[in-house]
This record gives sequence, structure tokens and C-alpha cells, in this order.
Amino acid sequence: MDPATTTAPMQSDCETEPSSVWSWWPSWRPTSMSLLKTAESKILACIQNDVWSRFVTLPNRDRIWTLTLTNKGVRKTAEQAPKTPLVMVHGFGGGVGLWIRNIDALSQSRPVYAFDLLGFGRSSRPSFPSDATQAEKQFVDSIEQWREYLGLENMILLGHSLGGYLATSYAIQYPTRVSHLILVDPWGFPERPQPQTQEGQGSEVNKRPTLPRWVKVIAAVVSLFNPLAVIRAAGPWGPGLVNRFRPDFKRKFEDLFEDDTMTQYIYHCNAQTPSGEVGFRAMSESLGWAKNPMLDRVHQLPPSMPLTMLYGARSWVESSSGDRVVQIRNQAHTKVLLIDDASHHVYADQPEEFNKVVEDICNSVN
Amino acid sequence: MFPLDSPWNLSFAGCGFLGIYHVGVASCLLEQAPFLVYNARHIYGASAGAITASALVTGVCLGETGAGIIDVAKEARKRFLGPLHPSFNLVKMMRQMLLRTLPADSHHVANGRLGISLTRVIDGENVLVSHFNNMEEVVQAVVCSAFIPVYSGLIPPTLQGVRYVDGGITDNLPQYELKNTITVSPFSGESDICPRDTSTNIHELRFTNTSIQFTLTNLYRVSKALFPPDPLVMKAMCKQGYKDGMHFLKRNGLLNFNGPHRDRPLLANGEANEDYNDDKEENKSDQEEEKPDVDQGAVAVYCSTSEEEQFIQHLPPTLHKALIEACMERRSLKQSLSNLLPVRMASAMMLPYTLPLESAMSMTLRLLEWLPDIQDDVGWMQEQILKILQHVFGQASKSITEHVSTRLSWQMELHHYQSLPSQSSSTSLFPSWVNGRRSSVVDAFVRLNQYKKQLVSGVLCINMDLQGSFKAGAKSADQSPPSTLSAEGLTMLPVADSEETISSS
Repeated sequence: MDPATTTAPMQSDCETEPSSVWSWWPSWRPTSMSLLKTAESKILACIQNDVWSRFVTLPNRDRIWTLTLTNKGVRKTAEQAPKTPLVMVHGFGGGVGLWIRNIDALSQSRPVYAFDLLGFGRSSRPSFPSDATQAEKQFVDSIEQWREYLGLENMILLGHSLGGYLATSYAIQYPTRVSHLILVDPWGFPERPQPQTQEGQGSEVNKRPTLPRWVKVIAAVVSLFNPLAVIRAAGPWGPGLVNRFRPDFKRKFEDLFEDDTMTQYIYHCNAQTPSGEVGFRAMSESLGWAKNPMLDRVHQLPPSMPLTMLYGARSWVESSSGDRVVQIRNQAHTKVLLIDDASHHVYADQPEEFNKVVEDICNSVN
Repeated sequence: MFPLDSPWNLSFAGCGFLGIYHVGVASCLLEQAPFLVYNARHIYGASAGAITASALVTGVCLGETGAGIIDVAKEARKRFLGPLHPSFNLVKMMRQMLLRTLPADSHHVANGRLGISLTRVIDGENVLVSHFNNMEEVVQAVVCSAFIPVYSGLIPPTLQGVRYVDGGITDNLPQYELKNTITVSPFSGESDICPRDTSTNIHELRFTNTSIQFTLTNLYRVSKALFPPDPLVMKAMCKQGYKDGMHFLKRNGLLNFNGPHRDRPLLANGEANEDYNDDKEENKSDQEEEKPDVDQGAVAVYCSTSEEEQFIQHLPPTLHKALIEACMERRSLKQSLSNLLPVRMASAMMLPYTLPLESAMSMTLRLLEWLPDIQDDVGWMQEQILKILQHVFGQASKSITEHVSTRLSWQMELHHYQSLPSQSSSTSLFPSWVNGRRSSVVDAFVRLNQYKKQLVSGVLCINMDLQGSFKAGAKSADQSPPSTLSAEGLTMLPVADSEETISSS
């Protein structure tokens, strides 16, 4: 893109909220798309390189909020072959703002695209089918349509958490578009362990007491709701809840923002009409297991596609599923890396190391 | 690899009765990588974590600590309402347990090394106490840190003249943010040493710095933190702690690492450190414990990988033995009798009668125990009540004066506006529409006042109208003598009359 468009101000339009009969009623939740926009622009103000942010309208009228970063210093020279862009897919309940410590550094050598998944962040919030396969298809289709709109021939696809699951699913369906697949603490890989196998091991039963019935009842009740319904139900106390129970987000970014910009952003991302959450719930079962686990499908990835899996050493996502993937796939093209002293949000805990690893992977592509 | 070139800390999370998990972790660290404990700059603890932290710092036998925790839990389970039963005195039991186990010179080793997270009552701030003048203060600090308001009692205990409550309320995992702090938590999440649940749930919350993943097992654990589970379950938790500690050491390459202080004894209590066969009964472990520990330490440290797996299955013998003993129920006739269903049912049905009696008993007992501190506590309570009253009065008087003053100022402004000419010199600075708006505002005020007057007069008018109509109605309907009415003005009498006549007509 030419410099004139890159320096253009951010598009001011917000995703219009559906007007209803109750629109005059004072909102129970202190949130709106414009508040989310304000919080996000505070975060994106940290970016040094050229940012181009806009909505990409898909054929079905859904809009995907997209950031494009290009290096300000280096003007694109004609003789140099264009580098494969890096596309970053955020995790559950997040948005493009969470990549703030990474996109700047990673866009030094190649264009970086980051977008809000359908149903999350500032993107449209359509309704999702309750069927796991259908919901997954809707997510993946939106990514493909988004790619078509931008005209990206191929890309280095990076997905974190839920984004990692969807990126894998995308790479299975559209393998030619993915030059390298990077999964950061991906969700939804291991299968849910069957209760029979646990009882098969005699010593295991003694060690892990079977859960009392009331726990299962609570679990059944909880799984009737969307995962983050509490934040929305809390209404005016929602931002306080996020601050109280996720102070780590504030801490991870405290060198960038001294106030609670980040928790505000997270709140506004998730306090709106749940849509991506509905999709996630459709794809998961009994508190967080994937209905269609990726370990069963990862063999469908073309063996030649390079795959790197990054895990935080302290994260509760077990890197053992990464080792399983290495067993299943061609070993030459699969790597599992552990990043020390990093939690689930590897990219925010150890940004330097994360950026370096991703940069090296990108440079190995071209 | 854990960076050992810079100083590191250990931090134990608060977790109520799950503190038994910490005992498992601590025994693993002591046994497999003792330098990690001995050379740690600080050992922090909050709530139940403070018990293990103080035990580690002072070199108390962890078996005793573990047995103590299980004893308290058993005591809590004995009663119908569990730890909420009035005769269950958690503070007293904990204090006794600590006084029994901690050595008399513990404050010397604890000074500057042991950090206990406390919540100051006055301002709700977190305090990390690491200076102790005597052994009683160490005990008192741990007791304060584990004092959950309402659950443990109503009057918070004092330490060095200041009232404190549970440190877990403000900081459940002290100094977790330091890069070199090894965090230990019995809830699966993102602590360095914590159980790994087989779940892929991506939701997680932080309870005052402790990362708790949203899983079913964690839900169960949280429920058991204040209402202790079966002793056998607690023993399993201890084992789990040992296993997770081992996992941490392996992952960080500290297992076969020769620490800077290899000459130190492997265990603080100098007990047997034995790689013995698993799946044997506890009586076997008793026998093995008699063996001297001349070369066993080396075996434990340099054991091969295949043996490690077996090793994980069992706790250190001393700890194992202590826990087994603690778990053993006294199978007396009385107990087996009370476990029968009819007896249990009867006792449950008798509860409304027995509970007040037992409560009264325990209340008098507590009152007697309270006698030495009664003066302090009553003084403190008076102080608190006075403070609250002062606050309330202050708030009330403030709001009243505010209310009155706003009213006054509003009225004064109104008068001001009324006296202002409609086009003052300052308003001409603004564009014409602002002036118009402004004058209209002034107009509105004036009009409002006029309306008010009109309204008052209107009400009067209505009154008069009513009076008139009543008079008229009364006259037309009843033909009663007007002389009485005119004298009394607006009374209910004629109306009632007229109504009667209306209904009758």
C-alpha cells in the first residue's frame, strides 16, 4: 500500500449496535463498541510503525476489524521480493490489542496482519450455530474470506489459544495458503480422557479422589451459560471484576500502561453481546475440552507444512500434546519450543524471546 | 533451568486445609534439592502456606507439621457442622500445634528470612512481616496469617500491638511477581509448583495473586480449603505435592544438580532418606526407617530415571509414617457406635437441643480463655465502634450541611438571576444564540418563580372554588340553613351531607 493510505487516520466508524426496542433503556453494562474503540486506540497509540486499521467486509456483510502494520523506515523496493506476511490470530476473549508488545517488533521485516476473530473484539458479532463442526466452519470460512479480500497469496499463520485451534483447522482446509503454521499454547488438542481408562489403573483411583456429585452438578449448571456470562451479568461491577480477578493482564503490560487500560480493553471486548463465545461453547464440551480435538485431525495437515508449537513453561496448557503432534506428524517439519517463565500468554510474558523466536521462524520462510 | 546465579525465594500460597499439599512439596524440595531451601533468600507464606514456610525456615520435621494439619482437620471433621461448630477453636489448636513443633530459637533463624503475609485490620493493607523478637511472635504471626474473619473468630488477633487478619485476603502469594520466586499453590494454574489437571479449560482467575484455573478439580479443592476432606484424601494431596515438586525439579534440571552446599545433611530432621520399594504397606516403611542413613542420601539424589518414577509413588518415610499415624482412626467402641446410621440420625435430630448446650459450654470455655486478653480486646472494640460512629456521624453531618448549603445557594442564585438585567455585558461576548439561550434560561427562572406564585394563588383559587361549589352544591341539594356554613367555611360536614343526598336521590 502507498504511504498516503497508511498514514490515513483510523476509520472512525464503529460497528453499529443493533437497535432494539430497549435501546433507550440505560445499559446495565457500562460498555459499548465506542468505549471498546477508545480503549483500543489508547493501546494502539503505542505502535511506532505504520498502522492501517479498518474493517474488512466479508461477502455475508460481516465485518472483520483488521490491523496492517508495515515498517515505516524501509520503503518497499521494487527489486526485493515481497516477504510473506505474518497473520496473527488472538485467543479466546482477546483482540488485536493483546499483541501490542509483538506486532511492532515483528513488522520490522515484513507486513504483519492482526485481526479480531469473528464474534470477538471489534468484529461483527453474528449468531453461531450450536453444532461444533458448523461453528468451526463459520470461523474458518471467515478467515478464508478475509484472506481473499486482502488478496494474500500465502501467509505465516500464528494462532494463540483458541486462535491456534482455528489456525490449525484453517491450515487443514486451505493448506496452500499457509507457508508456516505457528501455534502458541494452542487450545483444543488433547482428547478428553475417558473415565474408563482412569479406572483401569488401580493406583490412580486412590490418588485422585473421584469428584463428589455436587461438583458435577455445578459443572452441568455452569456449562449451560456462556463462559464469560458472569462479567456481563455483573453489569456495573464487571470492570471491577476483571480488575480483581485478572490483575495479571494489567501487570503484564504495566510498562506500557500505568492505568488499567488493558483490563478495560479486555472488559469491553467481552462485555458485549456474546457471539464468538457462543461459537466457542459450541466447539467445546464439559468445561474446555474440544469436541473435535485437533490431535485426531492433525495428520490431515500436509506433511511438508512446517509447524512450530510454542508453549509457556508455566502455562497450564500441557506441552505434551505438542510432543504427540511430533509423533503423529513428520518429525522433520514439526518443532516444539518451550519458553521459560511464561504463562499461557507467552507473547505478553516474554515478549522479547517470543518475538525473536517468531522472527527466526519468519526468516526461515523467506 | 532455574537461574541459580541470582538469589531466589520460595512462596507458599494460602489455601486453608490444603496446606498439607505444601508439606508434600516442601519435603520433596528438602529431600531432592535441599540447597534450594537452605540457600533461598526468603521463604514467604500466606495463611496455611505460612505454616509450611515457618517449618521450612526453622527446620521443623515436616512429618510433625503434616500430622498437625491432619489432626486439626480430623478435629474439624468430628463435629456435625464441621469447623463451624462453636466448640471448634481453630486459633487455639493452631497455636498449640505451632508451640509444640517450633523450636525455642526459631525467631533467630526466621528473622529476615521468613516472610508472612498479613492483612492489617485498620487500613486493609498487606504487610509482609519478617522481623520477630521471640518465638511467640513467630507463632502469633502464623496464627494471624491464618485468621479468616468470622470463620475463625470475630476478634482479630494482635501481633506486636497491631491487629491482623488472614494475609490471603490481600496477597495470597507473596512476592510472586519477582522473577526468581518459586511459587507453590495447591490449585492448578500457573504457579511454578501446582497440580496439573488434565483439562484444557482456557479460563482462569486470580484470587489475590493466586492463579486458579477453572476446572472441576479446582472447584472441589476450593470447597475443601475451609471444610477439610477425609484424612486419606489429605494424604493423597500431600503425595500430589511431592509429585509436583519432583516434576518441577525435573523440568528445571535441578534433580541431579549438585547444589552449592552438598555437605549439608539432606534432611533437616536428619532422618532416613530411602529409595524403598513402593506398593508396600506402612509397616514395611517402619522397618526401613530403622536403617541408618549413611549412604542412602546418595542413592536418593543419584537415582536413575526409572527409579524416580517409583520414588515419586512414596513420600519420605518419616512424613509417610507420620501421615499414616495421623490418618488412623481410633477404632474404639464409642466411635463405631457413633458411626451407625440410627445413632447418627439421632444425633442430627438432637442437634437443635445439643447445639445450644454445647455452644454455651464452649462459650464459657472461650470466655475463660479470653479473660487475660479481655481488657485489650474490649478496648479495641470500643475504639472500633467509636470510629465507626464518628465516621457515620461525620458522613451524616457532611451530607446534611451539603444539602442545606446547595439549597441556600440555589435560592440565592435564583434571586441573583432575577435581579440581573436580561442582557448583561458579559453575555454579549457569546454568539447571539447563546445569549438567546441564556436569556431564555433566565426567563425560565423568572417564569418558574411566577408559576410558583401563580400556582400558590391557583391553589388558593381552587380552594375558594371548591368552597364555592360546595356551598353551591350544599345549597342546591340540601337547602340547609346557610348561616352555619358561612361561619365554618370549608368543612366536611356539608360535603358529607351533599353526598348523602346524592346517593339517596
